[in-house]
Amino acid sequence: MSDKHKPQPMVDEVSDFEILEMAVRELAIEKGLFSADDHRRWTEYVHTLGPVPAARLVAKAWLDPEYKKLAVTDGVKASLAVGVDWINSPPTGFGTPSDYCNLRVLEDTPKLKHVVVCTLCSCYPRPILGQSPEWYRTPNYRRRLVRWPRQVLAEFGLQLSPEVEIRVADSNQKTRYIVLPVRPAGTEGWTEDQLTEIVTRDCLIGVAVPKPGVTTNAKRPVHPAVHPVHHDH
Amino acid sequence: MSKIHHDRTHHAKKATNIGDPQCFKGEAGAPKFKVGDRVRVKDLPDLFYTRTQTYPRGVVGTVTVLVYESPAPEDEAWDNTDKSEWFYSVKFRQKDIWPDYHDLYANDTLETELSERWLEKA
Amino acid sequence: MAKSDKHHLDSGNGWHGTNVAPIALLENIRRHGKAWEELSAKYGVANPDPPWRITLDATCDILAGDSSVLPQHMVVPGSCALPSLERRAEEDDLSETIYADVPFPERQLLALAHSMIRHGLFNEEELAEQMKKVHERLTSA
Repeated sequence: MSDKHKPQPMVDEVSDFEILEMAVRELAIEKGLFSADDHRRWTEYVHTLGPVPAARLVAKAWLDPEYKKLAVTDGVKASLAVGVDWINSPPTGFGTPSDYCNLRVLEDTPKLKHVVVCTLCSCYPRPILGQSPEWYRTPNYRRRLVRWPRQVLAEFGLQLSPEVEIRVADSNQKTRYIVLPVRPAGTEGWTEDQLTEIVTRDCLIGVAVPKPGVTTNAKRPVHPAVHPVHHDH
Repeated sequence: MSKIHHDRTHHAKKATNIGDPQCFKGEAGAPKFKVGDRVRVKDLPDLFYTRTQTYPRGVVGTVTVLVYESPAPEDEAWDNTDKSEWFYSVKFRQKDIWPDYHDLYANDTLETELSERWLEKA
Repeated sequence: MAKSDKHHLDSGNGWHGTNVAPIALLENIRRHGKAWEELSAKYGVANPDPPWRITLDATCDILAGDSSVLPQHMVVPGSCALPSLERRAEEDDLSETIYADVPFPERQLLALAHSMIRHGLFNEEELAEQMKKVHERLTSA
């Protein structure tokens, strides 16, 4: 391989711990304590927790005013309708992978825009949003969003007029937050499934607003870098 | 053995199938503040552990929600969970937190939670 | 016998505390195994967790069956291979004693293997044999 095209760094060494983990797992399967498929399903569940339930919650709230009322007053109860049981969730059953079970749904209006941060570290509503993005956990985002929210949002490509009140929600205690954005124009007559598609993760954190045609799953154009950077590790 | 005997799993026993903070419901007694009250964040010492940031200390805000009852993190960090208190969501004007926040954006706000011990009537 | 009496779980299924006497095979891994924090620094990898972290968690949870679902007094003794509160209590005790110098999650892995041997789910020789097989598989060309 030429020096010009180096792969991502990886650990090219098998450790005793890696071997121990596999040996414990395979021996447990051999002894009949669980099956390989059971294990795969559990691992898949943890890997694939994502923002889709929260997106559906928003879509439902846009379509059903009664459900919206429930969502903004009792987020934990409203989550049940999108298949997320914060307290007794399968397959773990002792709740979803979060220490705390208090969800607040923050409703935007044309004059009010919410955005969520955890200034202490990385509190995030994982049961309904999945794992947090890397940038959410960086000091850059955590320190600056509370102090200069408009600049940080602009860096995400979201510029809001001074008439719109920006409200930062700092989740530094036991409540976790998602944002219920304003339903965008151009989505009249859409179904719940269609609406769910445009409520991406970043819309639910509050650093973006939903737009017709912009979905998480849409293919993005990728161009090779003009001056590629090479890792030298 | 001079070490205190302690069972870390008691929290799991208490919260399983109920949820945290739901498992502390009804333990804090009557709340001191109500929605709409103006409150000031005290600047208490935090020698060991706290989850109250420095930035809202001394700032006056408005109670928006009485969110739940729970032991305060200053106690819970040491597993002292005998005494719960009310937690309040409080909304502040950004201008009040950061005096040099731009006047053009005077409407901007910040909301965060504080336990009752951190608040006084403003 | 080295036993910790720190935890008193009233589980009704004969759990009497953690046996913290070292197990030779695991002692050897503790001494000579390379932890993820060392390997990731050496190879310039940014991920804070080793790739096997998620499968380890899955193993712990699946061995616990519904003992992590139910309030403790409702767990039927013998209904799962390794009840969650017992495993966690043992991990706490082992992390404070013989595995105190091992970083996380390597320490969780050692404690799990330790508990599984002590609970008779498999023995040390079987684990050593399986590790040998895995090692051969991973290092063969």
